[in-house]
Amino acid sequence: MKKLLFILIGLGCAASASAQISLGKDGKGGQLMGSFETNSIYYVDDNVLGSKPDHDLREYIGSNSYLKLDYAIDRFSVGVQGDFYLPAIDGYEIGTRDENYKKDLQFLLSGAYAQWLDKSYSVRLGSIYEQFGNGLIYRSFEDRQLGINSSLLGASAMYRLNNYFTIKAIYGAPRLLDGWADSRIGGADLSISLSELFKSQKLNLSVEGSWINRYEELSKDADGFTAASFETKQMGEYLNMYSGRLNMDIAGFSLRTEYVHKSEDLGQIDTEKAVAGYAAFAELGYNYKNFSFSGQVRALENMGTRLSLYNGATVNQLNYLPALTRQYTYMLANLEPHQVNVEGELAGQVDLYYSLRSKSDRRKYWNFHANYSTAYTLHKHQSATGERELIWQDLNVDVERQWNKSWKTTLLYSFQEWSPSHGHQHRTYVANIFVADVTYKINRKHSLRWELQYLLSDDYQGDWVAGLVEYNFAPHWSIYFQNMYNLESEPNFEDKKPLDENFNPRKVYYYNGGFSFTHNRTRVQLSYGRNRAGYICSGGVCRYTPAYTGVNLQLSTSF
Amino acid sequence: MKKLLLSMVALVVAFAASAQQLPDVQVENTEGRKISIRSLVGEKPLIISFWSTTCKPCIQELNAINDQIEDWREEADFEVVAVSVDDVRMKAGAKAMATSKGWDFTCVYDANQDLKRGMNVNLTPHSFVVDKAGNVVYSHSGYTPGSEQELLDKVIELSK
Repeated sequence: MKKLLFILIGLGCAASASAQISLGKDGKGGQLMGSFETNSIYYVDDNVLGSKPDHDLREYIGSNSYLKLDYAIDRFSVGVQGDFYLPAIDGYEIGTRDENYKKDLQFLLSGAYAQWLDKSYSVRLGSIYEQFGNGLIYRSFEDRQLGINSSLLGASAMYRLNNYFTIKAIYGAPRLLDGWADSRIGGADLSISLSELFKSQKLNLSVEGSWINRYEELSKDADGFTAASFETKQMGEYLNMYSGRLNMDIAGFSLRTEYVHKSEDLGQIDTEKAVAGYAAFAELGYNYKNFSFSGQVRALENMGTRLSLYNGATVNQLNYLPALTRQYTYMLANLEPHQVNVEGELAGQVDLYYSLRSKSDRRKYWNFHANYSTAYTLHKHQSATGERELIWQDLNVDVERQWNKSWKTTLLYSFQEWSPSHGHQHRTYVANIFVADVTYKINRKHSLRWELQYLLSDDYQGDWVAGLVEYNFAPHWSIYFQNMYNLESEPNFEDKKPLDENFNPRKVYYYNGGFSFTHNRTRVQLSYGRNRAGYICSGGVCRYTPAYTGVNLQLSTSF
Repeated sequence: MKKLLLSMVALVVAFAASAQQLPDVQVENTEGRKISIRSLVGEKPLIISFWSTTCKPCIQELNAINDQIEDWREEADFEVVAVSVDDVRMKAGAKAMATSKGWDFTCVYDANQDLKRGMNVNLTPHSFVVDKAGNVVYSHSGYTPGSEQELLDKVIELSK
C-alpha cells in the first residue's frame, strides 16, 4: 500500500511537469518522452454479491501500472517499458498472487527497443509490434485492458523502394504473460503497389503477400506434452502460414481481400489432432458525400494459433481474429459480446451511415446508422444437430440528432440473438435493447448528459434496466453515477444455471459513481461501485472479469 | 527498483519543458495510401486528434470541433488531422463514420498504432496542437464538452 502510494505520488509530481524533455540546447541532444498509466482497485467485502470469489478479497489491492520511456535523437530512438503488478487486478492472467495473496511488488521489464527509422528503411532491435495484412496470420500488440502483450523480442527490418514495393522481415521470441514463449517466430511481408508502378493517380492497387513460421521444440518434458503425444497428434516442430492479398481503392470504393493458409497445427490446448486451417476475408467500402457503406465477410477454419503449444492462457495468440460485430459503448448492449468460434465460423457485417446537416447552421444535423452482423458455424458437423447453426446476430439502428447548440439526443435499438452453446445446439437467446442518450450543454463550460437503457428478454437473465447521469465542468472535471439492475427476482429458468454460475437470483444494484480530473496530459479517475462479472473482448480474445465491489483509481499521464 | 523509479521521477521533474517533434511514422490516408505523418506538417498549425469508433468522447470532441470549425477559421488558419486508432476490425467502419459525419478534417488511419505508441498516447481522446515546424506545443487527453476551446486558444496563439 505504502509503495503504491509512493509511486502514485511520485508520478503525480512527474505529471505536473506535463511536458517532454529536451536535452541539450534547442533539443539537439535529443528528447526524452514517456507515459505512465495505472489501474488500481481496492476490493471491499460485499455480501450482496453472492458469487464471492474463492479467496478473500478484503483489504486486498489489485494494481496494474505501466511506465514507458522513450529517448529519440534525430532518426534514432530507444525505449523501455516496465509493468508493475502489485499484484494484478483480479481476472488478469499475468502477475497473479501466490496462495497467501501476499505477493509483493512484481516488476516486469516488458519491453525495450532500439530503432533507426529512415525514409526508405528501418531497423529495430528489441520489442517489435507488427501486423501482416489484416492480422489473420500475425499480429503482435499490447492491450492493457485485456492483459495482452505479445510483442516479439528480436529484430525487424523494413525496406521501401519509392513506394513501389515494401518488404519487411521479423524474427524473435514472442512475449507470453510474464516471460517469453520458447517458440521462435520468423516472417516476411511484401507489398507491391501496382498503381505507383503505373503512375495511376485515381486508382490505388496493391498486391501483398506474407509468410509466418513458428518453430518450437516438441521434445520437452511438460505435463501432457511429450514428444510421443505430439506424434500421436501428428504435430511437427514447424508451423507455416501464408497470406495473399489484393487491395484496391477507386472513386470512393475500397476493396480488401485476403486468403490465408495454415499448415497442420494444434490450435487449442485440447485439440486432439493437428489440422490445417484457412481463412478468407473480404471487405468492401463505399463513401460518397454524406453516405457511406462498409461490409465485411470472413470464413475461417481451424485458425486459432498459439504463440506456444505449451500454454493454455487466453492471451496465448499469434494471430488476430476479431469478432465482426459492432462494438458498443452502452452497458446493456455489451452484456453478451460475441466470441469468435476459431474452429469454424462464417461471419459478416454491414454498416450504413447517412447524415443530413442544416445548410444554414452547421450545428444542426441528423446522423443515421444501421448495422447488421451475423455468425454461423462453418460446418454441419460442428453442431450436435447436424446442421449449421447460428452463433450470433445483431441488428441495430441508431439515430443521432443535434437539435441546436444545446441539445443532442441519440436513440439506439438493438436486436441481439446468440447461442449459449456457441452453435453446438439450436437453442438461442434473444434480447431487445433500447437506449436513449441525451446531452444538454448548459453553457460554454457546463454540460449534463444522461442515458436510459432497457434490455427486454424472456431468456437468460431476463430484463435489465440501466441509467447514467454525468455532469461535466470543462475543461477539468467530470462526475458521474450509473446503475444497472436486473429485474428478475427468481431464476425461473433452470436450464440457464449451469451456463451462468455467477447469476445472482436476488435483485442486485450494480451501481458505480465517480469523478475524473483532467489537466493537459494527465487524467485521474476515482470511482466506487459494484461491478458485474462479464467478458471484455477484443480481437478474438475475451478476458473474464469476476464480479467485485471496490474503489477504482485510474491515472494516465504522458510527458 | 525503488531507486530506479525515484531517479526516473527526479529526472522528469528536474527538466524544463520543451518541444516534442512529431515522430516520422507512416499512417494510411483515406485512399488507402501510406503517408508520413510529417508530410502533413508545414503550411498551417495542426490539431492532431486521436480517436476510435468505440470512443464516445473522441467522437464528441471531433463533432464539436467540426460544428464550430467555420467560426474558428475566421480567427485562425489551421488544419485538423483526425487519427483513427481502430484496428482492422473497425478501420473500414471508421472510414465510413468519418465520411458520413462530414468532418472537414484530414483523416488518417493508424491501424498498427505506431503513431499512437510513438506519441505516447495511453488514452483516447488525446489531442495535440502542432506548430508549422512540427513541434508539439500543447496537448490534452480526455474530453468534456467545452474543452475544445483550449485547442482553439493555442491555435490562435500560434497564428499571432
